Amino acid sequence: MSLNRRDALRVLSQGAAGTATLAACGTAQASAKNRPIAPDRDAVGMLYDATICTGCKACVSACTSANGLVPDTVLSNGLWQMPQDLNAQTKNIIKLARGEDTAETSYVKRQCMHCLEPACVSGCPFGALMKRGTDGVVTWDADRCIGCRYCEVACPFEVPKFEWANFNPRIVKCELCSHRLADGGQPACTEVCPTHAVIFGTRSDLLAEAKARIERSPGRYFEDRVYGEKDGGGTQVLYLSGLPFANLGLPTLGEESVAAYGSKVHSVVYKWLALPLTLYVFLTAIIKRRFDSHEDHAQNKAKQTGLPSQL
Amino acid sequence: MLPWQRGVHVYDVPFFSLPFLIFLALTLIGLGLSVLRAFGGLGFTGMSDAYAWGIWKTFNVMTLTALGSGGFAIGIAAWIFKWERLHLVMRTALLTSFVFYFAGLLALTVDVGRPWNMWHLLFPSHWNPESSLLEVAVCMPLYAMIFLAYENLPPLWERLYVHASDGIRRAMRSVFPVLKWLYPFFVAGAYVLPAMHQSSLGALLLLSGDKLHPLWQSQMLPLLYVIQAGVAGTACVMVTLMAGCLVWRRRLDLTTLGDLGKLMGYISLLFLALRWGDIIARGQLGAAFTSDGFSVLFHVENLSVLVPTLFMLQPKQRRRPRVLFLSAVTAMLGAMMYRFIPTTIAFVPGELKFYFPSALEVLMSAGYVSLTIVLYTAAVKLFAIVPASLEEWYEAVAWARENFRTIRVDSHGKATRD
Ligand code: SF4
Ligand code: SF4
Ligand code: SF4
Repeated sequence: MSLNRRDALRVLSQGAAGTATLAACGTAQASAKNRPIAPDRDAVGMLYDATICTGCKACVSACTSANGLVPDTVLSNGLWQMPQDLNAQTKNIIKLARGEDTAETSYVKRQCMHCLEPACVSGCPFGALMKRGTDGVVTWDADRCIGCRYCEVACPFEVPKFEWANFNPRIVKCELCSHRLADGGQPACTEVCPTHAVIFGTRSDLLAEAKARIERSPGRYFEDRVYGEKDGGGTQVLYLSGLPFANLGLPTLGEESVAAYGSKVHSVVYKWLALPLTLYVFLTAIIKRRFDSHEDHAQNKAKQTGLPSQL
Repeated sequence: MLPWQRGVHVYDVPFFSLPFLIFLALTLIGLGLSVLRAFGGLGFTGMSDAYAWGIWKTFNVMTLTALGSGGFAIGIAAWIFKWERLHLVMRTALLTSFVFYFAGLLALTVDVGRPWNMWHLLFPSHWNPESSLLEVAVCMPLYAMIFLAYENLPPLWERLYVHASDGIRRAMRSVFPVLKWLYPFFVAGAYVLPAMHQSSLGALLLLSGDKLHPLWQSQMLPLLYVIQAGVAGTACVMVTLMAGCLVWRRRLDLTTLGDLGKLMGYISLLFLALRWGDIIARGQLGAAFTSDGFSVLFHVENLSVLVPTLFMLQPKQRRRPRVLFLSAVTAMLGAMMYRFIPTTIAFVPGELKFYFPSALEVLMSAGYVSLTIVLYTAAVKLFAIVPASLEEWYEAVAWARENFRTIRVDSHGKATRD
């Protein structure tokens, strides 16, 4: 995800437009906003320690009210909030996870991971999903979203949800309570957590804290590592767990982000599309020649036979 | 002289035949539901957050625009590689391409949840240049509605001209040189743009990462998608031509169809070499030979391209109508599978989730498919598109001179003044 590629892609998009409309295009501002910020400065996030979480779900209801969502009460026949999974009414959920053969259980909190190189941002056509340059929070803009749901296809954590039945459907996902951050506050979920199982901070502080915990209690944490430090290119929400991360439903991802994997090809494609204008000029030159001789031939034939020529 | 000499309109059949009316009805139902859908959400579909893309995108757009790549593939063979005989089927290829793209774009518009924000498309400064979907969204309408539409002009132009009054003819004659001069510029664009968006359709799947089965997930997807579009497009033109001959009882031209078969065989070979090379290079050969459903699917998909290719590379087989037709149909299905499987069947988002389109979704999808048939059959009845013999041409001209008072042509079909 280097500057080079961004520039290359900008050329590409302009080339596409150029080929097409021959119109001058503005600078592709969207790309600048989409870039990941330097991972260890300013980026804010959360650290969730599954070994501390008691599954009280205070964060779930706090999230719902802080974000003006209508509690999902389908399963409980309207009695209380009981989402089955993240959905268009639920940006945050506590789930029960089980170990493989043991009866060991753990809770897991799921919400947007605020990836360092988010696939959702990479695919979003008009930059409705953006990675904020200031703190790396991935936000959604209703005025730029066309409702294509590519973000849902792309997100490796299956976070964005779509209001299927709504006439004016929105993409619903945790935006790290950006409205609260703007007021100098912290996310609702970290604020209410009674055991401090989930805490808010800068990514570098949280990473240091997580590593300190691992050091303090060897063997307590799965693989003695922090999920999200490098997984999927790194995320701003970090996890510590006693159970294998896969059991918590956190996907096993390599260190390369999906966005990087996807754009690598984009840049290869760019190699033969970066020159769309060159290719276009080249093809025009060939076809023009072919066309002229083809037409000559057709006109001659038309004269001989008396039939109108057909292109 | 070969049986096929020039495009001739299908003049001797009723415009509103029974099958036409059935397809028209299906189209109207599909379009009607699309209008209704504009007033509600997408809750009635089988789509879910896990399977956020349903058949409108995966079948009507991904799969059917591949079938609509005949104008692209055959055009390159005819114009750039100087395969002269293929010019004869270009009109058919361009028309099939246009109708598939038109219907695909319609499906895309209906599928989008917040269409009122599509205006961002007009402002390059609002684009996210990293997004393959953006490229598709920009390139596809541009190609279909401008470049491909332009390529489709000549038959329309001819018909207008022979019916036009002197004044209009004069006006048409004065702009004609300009239009003709511009033609090569549009043709060239009509090859650059599909290369871009057909590859971007493949690139779309890259971001789905591990959700897509490793037999399909590959950095080669963009390239494979363009090449497979060539197979699908060529096969589709063959099927369309032969089905047309069957329905309207016209003579087959086995030499020209054989040429198409040969072209399809060449492109398929290239595709298969790259497909298998990619599987081997990524070390996924093992995954291709397990007993699970995916490897079965993989082989069905591959054999559907390989077997017809083996037939189409033999000159003797290319002269047999039955073999030509079956090969084209099989290769077309194989190509369609390659487009459809990765977005639906081999796309497995975690846990136990399932997608099956709802009845209304299928009905709308069928409506868009019917639309292509309706547009195609209507166009070939009105314009000189489908290739036929000279006798056929003379008969059609005589028929038109008898039936249209406005038409002014001589017995050869050439415009006359009076
Ligand atoms: S978790 Fe998904 S939605 Fe959140 S930033 Fe990453 S890719 Fe985007
Ligand atoms: S649904 Fe909206 S937010 Fe998601 S990728 Fe499409 S335009 Fe972007
Ligand atoms: S940060 Fe805000 S939106 Fe995100 S899970 Fe916590 S409370 Fe919900």
